[in-house]
Order: sequence, then C-alpha cells, then structure tokens
Amino acid sequence: MDFLSPSTWEEALAAKSAHPDAVPIMGGTDVMVELNFGRRRPPALLDLTRIPQLRDHGPDDGYLRLGAGVPYTTIIERLRDRSPALAQAARAVASPQIRNRGSVGGNLGGASPAGDAHPPLLAVDALVELASVRGVRRVAAREFYHGPRRTARRDDELISAVLLPEPAGPQSFSKIGTRNAMVIAVASFSLALDAQARTVGTGIGSAGPTPLRAIEAEKFLASEFDWDGAASPSPATVTRFGELVASAARPIDDVRGSAHYRRHALSVMARRAVSWAVTDYRKEIARCA
Amino acid sequence: MSGLLENTSTRAIGADIGRVDGPAKVTGTATYAFEHQLNAPAYLHPIQATVVRGRVREFDTRDAEAVPGVLTVLTHDNAARLADIGDAELAVLQSDEVAHRGQVIGAVLAETPEAARQAVRLVRVHYEERSHDVRFSAARTDLYTPGEAEDDEQGDLAGAMASAPVTVDHTYTTPMEHNNPMEPHSTIAVWEDAGLTLYESTQGVHSVRSTMAELFGLDPERVRVIAPHVGGGFGSKGPLHPPVVLAALAARLLPGRPVKLALTRQQMFDLVGYRSPTIQRVRLAAEPDGRLTGIGIDVTAQTARFKEFLEQAGKPTEVMYAAPNRRITHRLAALDVAPPTWMRAPGECPGMFGPEVAMDELAVACGVDPVELRVRNEPGTEPASGRPFSSRNLVACLREGARRFGWQDRDPEPRRRMEDGWLVGTGVAASTYPTGQMPGSVAAVRFEDGHYHVRIGAADIGTGAWTVLTQIAADALGVPVTAVRLRIGDSSLPSASLAGGSTGTVSWGSTIVAAAQAFRERHGTAPADGAEARAGLPDNPNRERYAMHAFGAQFAEVRVHADTGEVRVPRLLGVFAAGRIVNPRTARSQFIGGMTMGLSMALHEDSVVDPRFGCVVNHDLAEYHIAANADVVDLQAHWIDEADPYVNPLGAKGIGEIGIVGTAAAIVNAAYHATGVRVRELPMTLEHFLA
Repeated sequence: MDFLSPSTWEEALAAKSAHPDAVPIMGGTDVMVELNFGRRRPPALLDLTRIPQLRDHGPDDGYLRLGAGVPYTTIIERLRDRSPALAQAARAVASPQIRNRGSVGGNLGGASPAGDAHPPLLAVDALVELASVRGVRRVAAREFYHGPRRTARRDDELISAVLLPEPAGPQSFSKIGTRNAMVIAVASFSLALDAQARTVGTGIGSAGPTPLRAIEAEKFLASEFDWDGAASPSPATVTRFGELVASAARPIDDVRGSAHYRRHALSVMARRAVSWAVTDYRKEIARCA
Repeated sequence: MSGLLENTSTRAIGADIGRVDGPAKVTGTATYAFEHQLNAPAYLHPIQATVVRGRVREFDTRDAEAVPGVLTVLTHDNAARLADIGDAELAVLQSDEVAHRGQVIGAVLAETPEAARQAVRLVRVHYEERSHDVRFSAARTDLYTPGEAEDDEQGDLAGAMASAPVTVDHTYTTPMEHNNPMEPHSTIAVWEDAGLTLYESTQGVHSVRSTMAELFGLDPERVRVIAPHVGGGFGSKGPLHPPVVLAALAARLLPGRPVKLALTRQQMFDLVGYRSPTIQRVRLAAEPDGRLTGIGIDVTAQTARFKEFLEQAGKPTEVMYAAPNRRITHRLAALDVAPPTWMRAPGECPGMFGPEVAMDELAVACGVDPVELRVRNEPGTEPASGRPFSSRNLVACLREGARRFGWQDRDPEPRRRMEDGWLVGTGVAASTYPTGQMPGSVAAVRFEDGHYHVRIGAADIGTGAWTVLTQIAADALGVPVTAVRLRIGDSSLPSASLAGGSTGTVSWGSTIVAAAQAFRERHGTAPADGAEARAGLPDNPNRERYAMHAFGAQFAEVRVHADTGEVRVPRLLGVFAAGRIVNPRTARSQFIGGMTMGLSMALHEDSVVDPRFGCVVNHDLAEYHIAANADVVDLQAHWIDEADPYVNPLGAKGIGEIGIVGTAAAIVNAAYHATGVRVRELPMTLEHFLA
C-alpha cells in the first residue's frame, strides 16, 4: 500500500488524479477501522492532514464554508450559531476523542447511511464542494448520495468543503440509539425551516440505503406551518407530518433495530422536531417584534 | 478462629487504603503481559477457520511465505505433538479437524505484527466442509443431561403446581455474552534450553504453569509464568484457551526468541470463551399470601460438541427460598460452536435472572410487596441441603436497601408515574453468590532489611489483590502496612489458586494468615534478618457443616420513554452482606463494577450469531454494546456489618461476582413497574415497549 502525503492542496489534487483509487485519510476514525478490520485494502492512502486549508472555516458569499477536515469539536465549540442542526449532530457523534479527529468531510467520503452529519446537510440544503485538477464544482447535498456508500464524487475528486446556508429559521437534529453515548444511530432526523423562502427541509439517517429526504413531508409542513404567527399546528397536522417522514424511510431489520421500530422512531422524532421548531420560531418572532 | 485478627492493634483490615499498584497504573508504568521489554521479539498472528465444521485439506502458503519478514507458517503439519490432557480445546494444531468457525488452524510468525497479519491474509486454505448446526433452542430433540448436574428433585413440584392457588410458569432467556476484559488475551512465550517462560494475561500463573507443563511434557519447574498486572478477566482468563498454547508452539519453533501474541478484539469473540445463552422455565407455586409451596427451574444451555461446559444456572434455586417442593434440571445442546466458559458469576448471574423476575411476577399476582414476598420465603436452613447457613443476611439487605432507596412510599400499581414523557418505575431483586475457598495455596513470609516480604503466586486482575493482601499480611503479622512488601503474579513464588469463583482474597488471605502465624510461632516478634516461614491453606472443617454464601439486594429506578421505548436507569442501589469487608474502597469498586456489568447485561450485551456462518456478527465494541459512562448515573453500593465466624479466619466472603447477580432482574422488574410490560428476555431493548 502506498502512502501519499502531499503538503499542498495542488499536490493533493494531482495525487488524487494520478491515483484515483487512493483513499483520502484525515482523522482516520472511519478509514483506520476499515483497514484494521480488513474490510478494504486500498492500493494507496492519501494523507490530507498536512493541508491547512482543509481545517479552515469562514463566510463565503452567504454561506458558511466549512473545510472538509474541520473536526466535529470545532463545529460544536465555535460554529453552533451558524450551523445549529449540524452542531447538534456533531455532539451526537461517538466520543470526545473521535469528535476531536472526525470531520464532516470524512462522513461524506465514507457516506455510511448512519453517518450523523448527513441529515442536517440534507435538511439545510448544504452544498458539497468537490475539487480535482479539472476544476471545482459544488453539488447539493440533496444530489450527493447515490446509493449505499456511493456518492456524486468522481474518482479523481476530493471533498474540499461543505457550504452551509445562513440559518433562516429553526433547525434541529435528534438521534435514537440503544445506549446513551458511543452509539451508531438506530434512526436520526433533522429538520430545518427557512422563514424567508417559507420552505421546510428534512433529513433522515440510518433508515435507508442512503441518507434520505422526506419530500412529501417537507411540502406538507411548508403549506401547513403558520409562517406569520407560529400558531401551534393541530395534532392531526403533527401526526400527519410524522407519518409522512416515517413513510419516506426505507429501513431494514438489523442488529440495531427493526424496520418497524425505525419508522416508529422517525415519526416520534419528526413530531418532536415540529414542536421544537414552533417554540423556536415564536421566540424569533418575539425577538424581532 | 479469627483470634489473631481480633487481637491485632494495627487494623489494616477494613481501612480505606488506596491501591498500592495505583500510582504505577495511572502513570503507565505497570507492565501488562504484552508490554514486557524483551530482546528481538517475533510476532504471531493466528490463522482462523472460515468454515464451521470439516477438515483442512490443504494450506497454500506460498504467497504468505513470500511476504518480507515472515519467519514460519505454523500448521498442524509442523506443530509439536502435545500430550492429551483431556481438554480438546487445548489440543491446538493437533489435527486437521475444524470444530467451530474461527478455530485456530495455524499461525504466521514474522518479524513484525504487520507482516504476520498480512501473511495470514494470503494463506489459502482448502477445506472439506461438512454440514453444521449452531441453532440454540429448548425445542431441540437432542438435548442431554450433563453428568455433573443430575436432576435435583425434592417433593413433587408438578403436584404443588396443580394444587397451588397462585402459580407462575414462564420462560426467561439470557443471550450469549462475551467477557471482553479491557486488556486482550496476550502472551509472550520464550522457549529456551532452560524451559518455557510465559508472560501471560491470566487469572492464575500457577494453573497456566501446570497445564502448559502437562501439555508440553515439561517438568513444571521448567515452566515459569509471569503476570504482575492483568487488565481484567471476568472469567475468560481463568481456564486456558488456545492462544497461549499457540504462542508456546510457535516459540518452540524459534528457540531463544520471544514470541508475542495479542488477540484482536474480534478474535476474542472466537477464541477465549463466552457465557452460554440460557433458556429458563421457572415455576413457582404459592399460597395467596405468597408463601412458596414449590419452586422449579429447568435450564437449557449450550456447549461445544467437542468440549463440554455447563452454565449451572439452576444452582441459586438450591439456595434462595424455602419451599417443600423443588425441582432443578439442566439440559445441554451440543453445537458446532466454540466452548463457553466462565463469565462473571457463571451460573448465579443468568440463574438469578429468571427466578428473580418470576418472584416479581408472583408478588404482582399475590398483591404482596416484592421485598415482603422475599422476606416471607426466607429459609431457616439451606433449602436443597438442609445445612445451616454460616451467616445469611438477605433480609437485612432487603430492609436496609428499601430504607436507603425510599421504597416504602412505592405505589405497587404499574404505569402510574409519568415525568416529562418518561414512565418511571422501581424494582428489586435479590443477589447471592457462594463463599468458596480453593485449595492449594502456599505463602512465605521472610523478614529482611526491616521489612516483612510476603510471597504468594496470586493474581490481581484489577480486583485490588495487591492492596488487600498487603492489608491482611499487615494485620496477620501485627505490623503497619508500610512494613509489608508483597510479591504476587509469578509462578516462581509459592503456589496460589486461581483468581476465580470470588475465592482469591479469602483463599490467599487465609494462607497468608497461616504463614504469618507460622512465622510468629517460629521467630517471635523480634525476628532476625533472614527469618522465614511458610504455610499452606489450612482445611476449614466448618465448610462441611455450614452452607456459605454472600447475599444482597438490588434496587433499580428505570425510566422508559412513552413514545420511543428508550430505557434509562437513573438509579441503582445495592446492599450486600458479604462478611468482613477488607478494604471499602476496592470493595466498592468490585460491587459497582459488578452492578454496572449487570446494567450492561440488562440493556445491551448480546452476541448475535448468524446460523449460516456460525459466527458472532457483532464482534467488536462498536456493535457489541457495553454500558457507556453516560448510561450509568447514580450507582450506589452499601454493605451491612456481618460477622461470620465460620467462613475463614478473615470472616470475609468473596465479593468479585455478587454485584452482577440480580441486577438485570431488578432493572427488568422496575421496567415492568414503569410500563406494565413484562420483559422475559435479555437484553431489554426499546422495541419491547412498543405496542
């Protein structure tokens, strides 16, 4: 196995172009586990830890630009206000040691349907920035996940950053697991409201071959939500939203939980997310008034 | 018989003394098996069977041998012949037969661990595969009665069940669970002209020495086993398993060079034992006031087809409650699996799950408080044997626990308390564990340079043996703790029994007391430099006359989310009656460690076997869940003062295992009280609470 260790981003892109089957590695929290368990044996590892800009974050034309290697701990400690749902998801990742090393870029690279970062990226309509020697392109997270561990990223591309829109309304993330910490989600859910566009975003984790959106549920809540006064939606509306989220999932039975439980859990998390959103939205209205 | 200890003025026993090995452990200087610095070690990686049953037809090792740094590929073709000692699990590389998936069928020895591991991946194995059967079920038609556990019947349980006004008759199950000590099983083996030296992660250096000497046909004096510190065992490092034999076989091919083997976490799920799953039919016959007229447990467990091991889950039913009619049976399913082994409180731990949940069901059926129900069924003598108890304070534990926990205001009706979306309930269960003593220990005391050097080949697997044996020696000699220099963890020291069955402290401690007495008798209180005496563990005639057990009561508060079924255990409180507590600090650690493991058993631990491939699929700590810190909230262990003049000169009972016994039942009973849903299988998961 070759170990490629570029010191600049240009060198990294050139290396990826020359070795499209090289697996990028930064925190190693996924890749090292896979190597250790013998699940894969890539011909080369592409070490990105020497590229400083992958750890940068800052404003970028209305977005928060988050370098692909920014660790979860940084998101939790410094970027909570600018990425509320993602920061909540980051808090739910594994243990402090893993959060110090793991990054959203790694989650996107591995593209496990159980990755905690995916549902918020879907819900807030984030962009994934992909770079290669051919140039840079941005793909909506909503177009990024193609199949189990398959994504829109081409073999010669590296994930350079994610771009998160300025929060324009309440956001949340929740996760159900079978213990209180260090747990792969049985199911997870993220909700983001955009008060300006009056749209709703959702993201479902661990309940399908890829992270999923509940598009019917989004449309339904956008039309039912009281965007002017944030009146509490009727119990029937909340229940219907939960049902629509659950029906968008495509879960299986596995050692962590049954498909039946996953759908049930999603409907509960979706209902909770609506009630949190209404409360937060009201606070926002009161603050602006 | 505890005169010496009563008269001493130093009173180290009972003192809250920090671990004498603590500074070394927290500064990283305590040396564990794999860490001993030896010159030019070679590294070993096992080759494991990828079929469940059959035989190896051929190894193709060409690619493996071409890996730079590979020294040897070890298979049954070139491994030394071992003596047949009647333990098929240890007949490592003695034939081409495959008896379970993951079995060791070879190994690669290399200059680096990476080369060894890579080469193992390149070994191609051709098998003659046979059909296999790993399905565990009480409905199997080939279950058999193991020789060590004949059916135990008193009176007529079936008759009692037929005529009793109140009965409980349900089946309870516990899953396969893996010990998973933090330190993996590891060995450094060095084969030299002088003999075999093993740095081993073990619960008993002397038993490793005698077994390995026998296997390899060596004089025991030519085998030395060293284990000053061990990072947990929970039983799986008690009996020997194939890896240590494999390491010695490899070392024999490479005389003079240390051979290092550390199992990966995944290999530990194949090679070092586990707790058998159990299926327990429990029957209780009672009067309307809850007094038992009959109690029975029919246990089904699994064993390996090639090596029998029985999980004696029926044992505690011999001890716990009075009832004129009693029936205890064990059946085994022999499967194409790796052999089960001891796991913390083997027998008692799973065997107090079914009966203690059944007792809660009886309490509900009779409308009797579950604490009171247990008090009403307190026996005068040990029910199965009729022998008097040397001491039995279960009732005191129940009462003290109820007081501390705030049990008296409990509304017995289930599903009455809801707080912020969480259903809240409380539950109780009893604990018990036998007070054993293992023969065979010898201790030596020598006075030199102003210190008393106490030597015994005992093992500290994290229990606190280094500390408590120092305390016992100090009191037995009537000197301050600082005057004692203890040495343990080396087979060149006098023989010591295993750290198992919660017998370590009492067996080794009683031996040290005997050696100290012999020393004082021979050398008085002003010994000359170099004065020495030794003594073995004396017989205790009281062991024939009395039934000896520790008891406890565990109380749990459980919250179950009404919408999601998520389970939380905000409170666990245990009260134990375990004789004299030698060191409250290390004792508390043992009790709460056991209770934490019981919590883990209740909510998480579950080795899932894929019957097609015969292996555990969740064989790592990401998927095999053990309780995390965040799962443990308010955890309390208390004990009552219990003076037992019969058990041993220390008046102490073993405490390493009782903490895990009964915990899972208390939690399941609390979950019933919270929700009205009775869970009879472990682990208890979110899905149990969805309608």
